[in-house]
Amino acid sequence: MKLLKNKYLLFLIRIILGFIFIYAGIEKISDPEGFALSISNYRLLPIWTVNIFAITLPWIELIAGLLLLFGILVKENSSIILFFLCVFTIAVIISLFRGLNIECGCFGKGNQIGLLKLTENLLMIIGAVILTFFGSDYFKITGKD
Amino acid sequence: MNINLIKISWIILVSILISLVYNHFNPKGLNFIRQERVLIWEDSSDSDNSDNEILSEEDNNNSAQTDELTQNEKNENLEQPKAIKLDFAYKLFNQNVKFIDARPVEEFAEGHIKGAINIPFYGSEEYESVLNKIPKDEYLVTYCDGDDCDLSILLGDELFEKGYKKVYVFYGGWNDWVKNNYPIEK
Repeated sequence: MKLLKNKYLLFLIRIILGFIFIYAGIEKISDPEGFALSISNYRLLPIWTVNIFAITLPWIELIAGLLLLFGILVKENSSIILFFLCVFTIAVIISLFRGLNIECGCFGKGNQIGLLKLTENLLMIIGAVILTFFGSDYFKITGKD
Repeated sequence: MNINLIKISWIILVSILISLVYNHFNPKGLNFIRQERVLIWEDSSDSDNSDNEILSEEDNNNSAQTDELTQNEKNENLEQPKAIKLDFAYKLFNQNVKFIDARPVEEFAEGHIKGAINIPFYGSEEYESVLNKIPKDEYLVTYCDGDDCDLSILLGDELFEKGYKKVYVFYGGWNDWVKNNYPIEK
Protein backbone atom coordinates (compact mmCIF):
# COMPACT_ATOMS: atom_id res chain seq x y z
CA MET A 1 0.00 0.00 0.00
CA LYS A 2 2.84 2.36 0.84
CA LEU A 3 4.42 1.67 -2.53
CA LEU A 4 1.19 2.59 -4.29
CA LYS A 5 1.25 5.98 -2.56
CA ASN A 6 4.80 6.64 -3.73
CA LYS A 7 4.67 10.02 -5.48
CA TYR A 8 7.20 9.01 -8.14
CA LEU A 9 5.25 5.88 -9.04
CA LEU A 10 2.00 7.83 -9.16
CA PHE A 11 3.68 10.48 -11.30
CA LEU A 12 5.03 7.82 -13.67
CA ILE A 13 1.59 6.21 -14.07
CA ARG A 14 0.05 9.63 -14.62
CA ILE A 15 2.51 10.54 -17.37
CA ILE A 16 2.22 7.16 -19.13
CA LEU A 17 -1.60 7.14 -19.06
CA GLY A 18 -1.69 10.80 -20.07
CA PHE A 19 0.51 10.24 -23.12
CA ILE A 20 -1.33 7.06 -24.13
CA PHE A 21 -4.69 8.80 -24.11
CA ILE A 22 -3.38 11.91 -25.85
CA TYR A 23 -1.94 9.72 -28.60
CA ALA A 24 -5.10 7.59 -28.83
CA GLY A 25 -7.27 10.69 -29.00
CA ILE A 26 -5.18 12.40 -31.71
CA GLU A 27 -5.07 9.23 -33.84
CA LYS A 28 -8.85 8.96 -33.78
CA ILE A 29 -9.43 12.66 -34.33
CA SER A 30 -7.21 12.54 -37.42
CA ASP A 31 -9.28 9.76 -38.99
CA PRO A 32 -12.90 10.06 -37.81
CA GLU A 33 -14.30 7.79 -40.51
CA GLY A 34 -11.76 5.09 -39.67
CA PHE A 35 -12.71 5.26 -36.01
CA ALA A 36 -16.42 5.16 -36.89
CA LEU A 37 -15.79 2.01 -38.93
CA SER A 38 -13.91 0.47 -36.02
CA ILE A 39 -16.83 1.18 -33.69
CA SER A 40 -19.37 -0.25 -36.13
CA ASN A 41 -17.24 -3.39 -36.58
CA TYR A 42 -17.90 -4.27 -32.94
CA ARG A 43 -21.61 -4.44 -33.83
CA LEU A 44 -22.58 -3.46 -30.30
CA LEU A 45 -24.17 -0.08 -30.98
CA PRO A 46 -27.08 0.89 -33.23
CA ILE A 47 -25.55 2.09 -36.49
CA TRP A 48 -27.11 5.56 -36.23
CA THR A 49 -25.26 6.25 -32.95
CA VAL A 50 -21.81 5.30 -34.26
CA ASN A 51 -20.84 8.72 -35.60
CA ILE A 52 -21.90 10.48 -32.41
CA PHE A 53 -19.42 8.36 -30.47
CA ALA A 54 -16.77 8.66 -33.18
CA ILE A 55 -16.99 12.44 -33.01
CA THR A 56 -17.04 12.91 -29.24
CA LEU A 57 -15.08 10.04 -27.65
CA PRO A 58 -11.64 10.96 -29.04
CA TRP A 59 -11.90 14.51 -27.69
CA ILE A 60 -12.85 13.30 -24.22
CA GLU A 61 -9.82 10.98 -24.38
CA LEU A 62 -7.53 13.75 -25.58
CA ILE A 63 -8.64 16.32 -23.02
CA ALA A 64 -8.65 13.83 -20.14
CA GLY A 65 -5.15 12.77 -21.23
CA LEU A 66 -3.88 16.35 -21.41
CA LEU A 67 -5.34 17.28 -18.01
CA LEU A 68 -3.86 14.12 -16.54
CA LEU A 69 -0.45 14.90 -18.01
CA PHE A 70 -0.47 18.38 -16.49
CA GLY A 71 -1.74 17.09 -13.15
CA ILE A 72 -5.06 18.92 -13.32
CA LEU A 73 -8.02 17.19 -11.61
CA VAL A 74 -6.07 13.94 -11.62
CA LYS A 75 -8.63 11.79 -9.79
CA GLU A 76 -11.50 12.99 -11.93
CA ASN A 77 -9.64 12.45 -15.20
CA SER A 78 -8.34 9.07 -14.06
CA SER A 79 -11.89 7.99 -13.32
CA ILE A 80 -13.01 9.08 -16.79
CA ILE A 81 -10.14 7.10 -18.31
CA LEU A 82 -10.91 4.14 -16.03
CA PHE A 83 -14.53 4.14 -17.19
CA PHE A 84 -13.47 4.20 -20.86
CA LEU A 85 -10.95 1.44 -20.36
CA CYS A 86 -13.56 -0.78 -18.70
CA VAL A 87 -16.06 -0.20 -21.51
CA PHE A 88 -13.42 -0.85 -24.21
CA THR A 89 -12.25 -3.99 -22.45
CA ILE A 90 -15.78 -5.37 -22.14
CA ALA A 91 -16.33 -4.65 -25.86
CA VAL A 92 -13.12 -6.50 -26.76
CA ILE A 93 -14.06 -9.49 -24.57
CA ILE A 94 -17.55 -9.71 -26.11
CA SER A 95 -16.07 -9.51 -29.62
CA LEU A 96 -13.51 -12.22 -28.86
CA PHE A 97 -16.26 -14.49 -27.57
CA ARG A 98 -18.27 -13.83 -30.72
CA GLY A 99 -15.23 -14.80 -32.77
CA LEU A 100 -14.92 -11.44 -34.50
CA ASN A 101 -11.53 -10.87 -36.07
CA ILE A 102 -11.62 -7.08 -36.06
CA GLU A 103 -9.47 -4.03 -35.59
CA CYS A 104 -9.69 -2.69 -32.04
CA GLY A 105 -9.81 0.96 -33.07
CA CYS A 106 -7.58 1.87 -30.13
CA PHE A 107 -4.63 3.61 -31.78
CA GLY A 108 -5.50 4.05 -35.43
CA LYS A 109 -5.18 1.21 -37.93
CA GLY A 110 -3.30 -2.04 -37.47
CA ASN A 111 -4.33 -3.15 -33.95
CA GLN A 112 -6.28 -6.38 -33.97
CA ILE A 113 -8.21 -7.36 -30.87
CA GLY A 114 -6.80 -10.28 -28.91
CA LEU A 115 -5.24 -11.36 -25.65
CA LEU A 116 -2.39 -8.88 -26.03
CA LYS A 117 -4.91 -6.06 -26.26
CA LEU A 118 -6.72 -7.36 -23.18
CA THR A 119 -3.45 -7.49 -21.24
CA GLU A 120 -2.61 -3.94 -22.25
CA ASN A 121 -6.04 -2.76 -21.16
CA LEU A 122 -5.79 -4.62 -17.88
CA LEU A 123 -2.47 -2.94 -17.06
CA MET A 124 -3.93 0.47 -17.90
CA ILE A 125 -7.00 -0.29 -15.76
CA ILE A 126 -4.75 -1.09 -12.80
CA GLY A 127 -2.88 2.20 -13.35
CA ALA A 128 -6.13 4.17 -13.64
CA VAL A 129 -7.54 2.57 -10.46
CA ILE A 130 -4.39 3.49 -8.52
CA LEU A 131 -4.54 7.09 -9.79
CA THR A 132 -8.27 7.36 -9.09
CA PHE A 133 -7.69 6.31 -5.49
CA PHE A 134 -4.47 8.13 -4.68
CA GLY A 135 -4.23 10.98 -7.21
CA SER A 136 -0.85 12.48 -8.07
CA ASP A 137 0.23 15.91 -6.90
CA TYR A 138 3.81 15.68 -8.05
CA PHE A 139 4.74 18.21 -10.76
CA LYS A 140 1.25 19.51 -11.23
CA ILE A 141 0.50 22.75 -13.00
CA THR A 142 -2.01 24.20 -10.56
CA GLY A 143 -1.64 24.51 -6.79
CA LYS A 144 -5.14 23.23 -6.13
CA ASP A 145 -6.71 19.84 -6.82
CA MET B 1 -11.52 8.99 -3.00
CA ASN B 2 -13.01 12.51 -3.11
CA ILE B 3 -14.01 12.47 -6.74
CA ASN B 4 -16.02 15.48 -7.78
CA LEU B 5 -18.76 14.33 -10.15
CA ILE B 6 -19.62 17.89 -11.15
CA LYS B 7 -16.05 18.45 -12.34
CA ILE B 8 -16.20 15.19 -14.29
CA SER B 9 -19.41 16.35 -15.93
CA TRP B 10 -17.76 19.63 -16.87
CA ILE B 11 -14.74 17.93 -18.41
CA ILE B 12 -17.01 15.71 -20.50
CA LEU B 13 -19.31 18.55 -21.46
CA VAL B 14 -16.48 20.85 -22.55
CA SER B 15 -14.86 17.99 -24.50
CA ILE B 16 -18.13 17.26 -26.28
CA LEU B 17 -18.58 20.91 -27.18
CA ILE B 18 -15.04 21.14 -28.59
CA SER B 19 -15.59 17.91 -30.54
CA LEU B 20 -18.78 19.24 -32.11
CA VAL B 21 -17.17 22.53 -33.13
CA TYR B 22 -14.11 20.72 -34.52
CA ASN B 23 -16.27 18.23 -36.42
CA HIS B 24 -18.29 21.07 -37.91
CA PHE B 25 -15.21 22.78 -39.36
CA ASN B 26 -13.26 19.62 -40.17
CA PRO B 27 -13.38 18.80 -43.93
CA LYS B 28 -13.26 15.11 -42.92
CA GLY B 29 -16.04 15.66 -40.37
CA LEU B 30 -18.83 13.11 -40.04
CA ASN B 31 -22.59 13.45 -40.28
CA PHE B 32 -24.08 13.34 -36.84
CA ILE B 33 -26.36 10.41 -37.66
CA ARG B 34 -24.72 7.52 -39.49
CA GLN B 35 -26.65 6.02 -42.37
CA GLU B 36 -26.68 2.27 -42.73
CA ARG B 37 -24.62 1.07 -45.69
CA VAL B 38 -27.16 -0.36 -48.11
CA LEU B 39 -25.73 -2.78 -50.64
CA ILE B 40 -26.86 -2.26 -54.19
CA TRP B 41 -26.99 -5.55 -56.06
CA GLU B 42 -25.97 -6.07 -59.61
CA ASP B 43 -29.24 -6.88 -61.34
CA SER B 44 -29.22 -10.65 -61.75
CA SER B 45 -31.35 -10.41 -64.90
CA ASP B 46 -28.51 -8.39 -66.38
CA SER B 47 -26.04 -11.07 -65.54
CA ASP B 48 -28.17 -13.68 -67.27
CA ASN B 49 -28.25 -11.65 -70.44
CA SER B 50 -25.35 -12.58 -72.65
CA ASP B 51 -25.35 -9.12 -74.25
CA ASN B 52 -24.50 -7.68 -70.92
CA GLU B 53 -21.33 -9.59 -70.27
CA ILE B 54 -18.93 -7.23 -68.66
CA LEU B 55 -16.07 -8.15 -70.92
CA SER B 56 -16.17 -9.58 -74.39
CA GLU B 57 -14.53 -12.86 -75.30
CA GLU B 58 -11.51 -11.13 -76.75
CA ASP B 59 -10.87 -9.67 -73.33
CA ASN B 60 -9.98 -13.01 -71.89
CA ASN B 61 -6.45 -12.25 -72.86
CA ASN B 62 -6.56 -9.19 -70.70
CA SER B 63 -4.88 -5.76 -70.78
CA ALA B 64 -6.66 -3.23 -73.03
CA GLN B 65 -9.99 -4.07 -71.50
CA THR B 66 -11.82 -0.81 -72.07
CA ASP B 67 -11.42 -1.09 -75.82
CA GLU B 68 -12.92 -4.53 -75.77
CA LEU B 69 -15.97 -3.89 -73.64
CA THR B 70 -19.36 -4.71 -75.05
CA GLN B 71 -21.35 -1.71 -76.16
CA ASN B 72 -23.65 -1.79 -73.14
CA GLU B 73 -20.90 -1.58 -70.59
CA LYS B 74 -18.27 0.39 -72.40
CA ASN B 75 -16.84 3.05 -70.11
CA GLU B 76 -19.86 2.77 -67.92
CA ASN B 77 -18.90 3.65 -64.39
CA LEU B 78 -20.90 2.37 -61.45
CA GLU B 79 -22.61 4.81 -59.12
CA GLN B 80 -21.25 2.86 -56.18
CA PRO B 81 -19.65 -0.56 -55.66
CA LYS B 82 -22.23 -3.21 -56.49
CA ALA B 83 -22.68 -6.49 -54.70
CA ILE B 84 -22.56 -9.67 -56.75
CA LYS B 85 -23.15 -13.32 -56.01
CA LEU B 86 -21.17 -16.42 -56.85
CA ASP B 87 -22.46 -17.02 -60.38
CA PHE B 88 -21.67 -13.51 -61.54
CA ALA B 89 -18.34 -13.51 -59.72
CA TYR B 90 -17.38 -16.73 -61.48
CA LYS B 91 -18.37 -15.23 -64.81
CA LEU B 92 -16.07 -12.28 -64.14
CA PHE B 93 -13.32 -14.63 -62.98
CA ASN B 94 -13.51 -16.45 -66.32
CA GLN B 95 -13.10 -13.11 -68.05
CA ASN B 96 -9.86 -12.45 -66.17
CA VAL B 97 -11.24 -9.64 -64.07
CA LYS B 98 -8.89 -8.83 -61.20
CA PHE B 99 -9.99 -10.19 -57.82
CA ILE B 100 -8.81 -8.40 -54.69
CA ASP B 101 -8.71 -10.26 -51.39
CA ALA B 102 -9.46 -7.84 -48.53
CA ARG B 103 -8.57 -10.29 -45.76
CA PRO B 104 -5.43 -10.10 -43.59
CA VAL B 105 -2.14 -11.33 -45.12
CA GLU B 106 -2.11 -14.56 -43.05
CA GLU B 107 -5.56 -15.63 -44.26
CA PHE B 108 -4.63 -14.80 -47.85
CA ALA B 109 -1.52 -16.95 -47.51
CA GLU B 110 -3.61 -19.91 -46.32
CA GLY B 111 -5.53 -19.87 -49.58
CA HIS B 112 -7.21 -17.46 -51.98
CA ILE B 113 -9.07 -17.27 -55.27
CA LYS B 114 -6.70 -18.14 -58.10
CA GLY B 115 -4.91 -15.08 -59.40
CA ALA B 116 -6.28 -12.77 -56.68
CA ILE B 117 -4.07 -10.09 -55.19
CA ASN B 118 -4.10 -9.19 -51.51
CA ILE B 119 -4.94 -5.69 -50.31
CA PRO B 120 -5.89 -6.15 -46.64
CA PHE B 121 -8.41 -3.47 -45.71
CA TYR B 122 -6.64 -2.91 -42.42
CA GLY B 123 -3.30 -1.81 -43.72
CA SER B 124 -4.39 -0.76 -47.19
CA GLU B 125 -2.25 2.39 -46.95
CA GLU B 126 0.81 0.14 -47.13
CA TYR B 127 -0.49 -1.28 -50.39
CA GLU B 128 -0.54 1.98 -52.31
CA SER B 129 2.22 0.71 -54.59
CA VAL B 130 0.12 -2.33 -55.55
CA LEU B 131 -2.83 -0.06 -56.26
CA ASN B 132 -0.75 2.31 -58.33
CA LYS B 133 -0.17 -0.46 -60.88
CA ILE B 134 -3.90 -0.95 -61.43
CA PRO B 135 -5.50 1.38 -63.99
CA LYS B 136 -8.48 3.32 -62.65
CA ASP B 137 -10.79 2.05 -65.40
CA GLU B 138 -10.14 -1.62 -64.69
CA TYR B 139 -12.93 -3.84 -63.38
CA LEU B 140 -12.21 -5.07 -59.86
CA VAL B 141 -13.90 -7.57 -57.59
CA THR B 142 -13.28 -7.41 -53.84
CA TYR B 143 -14.00 -10.30 -51.53
CA CYS B 144 -13.42 -11.50 -47.99
CA ASP B 145 -14.60 -14.55 -46.02
CA GLY B 146 -18.27 -14.60 -46.86
CA ASP B 147 -21.67 -13.17 -46.08
CA ASP B 148 -20.93 -11.90 -42.60
CA CYS B 149 -17.62 -10.16 -43.23
CA ASP B 150 -17.60 -6.58 -44.39
CA LEU B 151 -13.92 -6.09 -45.32
CA SER B 152 -14.81 -6.48 -48.99
CA ILE B 153 -17.48 -3.76 -48.75
CA LEU B 154 -15.14 -1.44 -46.86
CA LEU B 155 -12.31 -2.01 -49.35
CA GLY B 156 -14.75 -1.64 -52.25
CA ASP B 157 -15.88 1.72 -50.88
CA GLU B 158 -12.27 2.81 -50.32
CA LEU B 159 -11.24 1.83 -53.86
CA PHE B 160 -14.29 3.62 -55.22
CA GLU B 161 -13.28 6.78 -53.36
CA LYS B 162 -9.78 6.44 -54.80
CA GLY B 163 -11.24 6.62 -58.30
CA TYR B 164 -11.86 2.99 -59.22
CA LYS B 165 -15.41 3.29 -60.50
CA LYS B 166 -15.90 -0.29 -61.63
CA VAL B 167 -15.76 -2.14 -58.36
CA TYR B 168 -17.86 -5.18 -57.53
CA VAL B 169 -18.15 -6.71 -54.09
CA PHE B 170 -18.37 -10.49 -54.17
CA TYR B 171 -20.79 -11.11 -51.32
CA GLY B 172 -20.41 -14.86 -50.86
CA GLY B 173 -16.65 -14.46 -50.81
CA TRP B 174 -14.07 -17.11 -50.09
CA ASN B 175 -16.51 -19.49 -48.35
CA ASP B 176 -18.89 -19.72 -51.33
CA TRP B 177 -15.98 -20.03 -53.74
CA VAL B 178 -14.40 -22.94 -51.88
CA LYS B 179 -17.77 -24.67 -51.38
CA ASN B 180 -18.20 -24.80 -55.15
CA ASN B 181 -14.67 -26.05 -55.77
CA TYR B 182 -13.78 -23.10 -57.96
CA PRO B 183 -10.08 -22.51 -58.67
CA ILE B 184 -7.95 -21.52 -55.72
CA GLU B 185 -4.26 -21.27 -55.00
CA LYS B 186 -2.01 -20.96 -51.94
